[in-house]
Amino acid sequence: MSAQGAKPGRRTDGYATAVVLRLYVAGNAPNSAQAVANLEAICREYLNGAHDLEIIDVLEHPQRAMAAGILVTPTLSKLYPLPTAQVVGNLSDTSRVLLAIGIGSQAHE
Amino acid sequence: MSDSSSSYAPEVARTKRQDEQLSSVLLRLVKGGPEQQAVEAGEIDAVIDYSGSNVILFPAARQALRPAAAGESAYEPVANSLLAALTRREYQQLTPSLEPVTLTSGAVLHEPGEPIRFVYFPVDCVVSLLATPKGRRTVEVGLVGFDGMVGTSLALGVNVSSLRARVQIGGTALRMPQARFTRTVQESQTLRHELNLYIYSELTAARQTAVCSTFHQIEERLASRLLTTSARARSDRFYVTQESLAGVLGVRRESITQAAIGLQRRRLITYHRGNLRILNRQGLEAASCHCYGQLSV
Repeated sequence: MSAQGAKPGRRTDGYATAVVLRLYVAGNAPNSAQAVANLEAICREYLNGAHDLEIIDVLEHPQRAMAAGILVTPTLSKLYPLPTAQVVGNLSDTSRVLLAIGIGSQAHE
Repeated sequence: MSDSSSSYAPEVARTKRQDEQLSSVLLRLVKGGPEQQAVEAGEIDAVIDYSGSNVILFPAARQALRPAAAGESAYEPVANSLLAALTRREYQQLTPSLEPVTLTSGAVLHEPGEPIRFVYFPVDCVVSLLATPKGRRTVEVGLVGFDGMVGTSLALGVNVSSLRARVQIGGTALRMPQARFTRTVQESQTLRHELNLYIYSELTAARQTAVCSTFHQIEERLASRLLTTSARARSDRFYVTQESLAGVLGVRRESITQAAIGLQRRRLITYHRGNLRILNRQGLEAASCHCYGQLSV
């Protein structure tokens, strides 16, 4: 899957663009639940609502994971802004998630 | 049921199969890549198996998801393994088409040559699949319990039964009309995958039955058959008549009487007026022809 179906949009201030994220999980399995909680906390703290997050349960939609080339869950996929990036695991390492999202440098200084 | 879960060979076999699939998919991950690192750190719940088009859960995730699924009020525990493999949404969509029915011992669900109107997912009943050669005694070629279904030929596109399906041990099953089942198989990749595995295990069991009935003694075969029934029924006690056992093993009733007396003398079972109880499982396994392992997978 490319950015197809993603909805990158402009914020009201005109130039900052929303981050489009897909999180692939396996139901409420322990690492998946943790990844959802970690990501939601990161989005709340650093993205301030300027994001489009879709959580995809691969147990219900395995074909979506395969179409996106996902190998394991949980996997976070950043589709927009380009370049795309992925983080694998329960997202407990905030700096890696921020780096993938593209705001690592500002957040960790 | 009085034994530990390890005695339920079908469940053990299913878990073993999942573990084997998991290991083989993990081997395909890039060495030192982010996925492999996350696996080693214990941060992964599942891997996607592209060759089998399915998702394989890690044991911890499997454990965690089971009670969670059963504990939700909108999702009743599913007592048949094939249906339990469906996703929650798929199962909920299917629920209106699944009718719980009580099946009595001896009831015939399918006759050879007749169209299949319903498929049956046993919950706590056991159904015998019998070949009925012309002018000969019937002989059992398969045994279906909570881990399987009656009417698998529909999944292969054949809507006529080639066997007689007769209820061996009465109990509950969920039945579904033929057209709905056919549609579900087309729509659900998960169910198709589970059915493929199940049909393969049915085929393996049928091959083993052919070997067993050609080479093994009646007492050994009876011991195997009782162990298989016990695993399918999830109980050490069940009701089974000598006539039906004779029909199942394709021998005369007198031969069953002799074999059962032999097993009782060795204090492996008690058997009185059809009420059978396994007293010594290990002993019965030793007395069996060891086809039990293959037949129960």
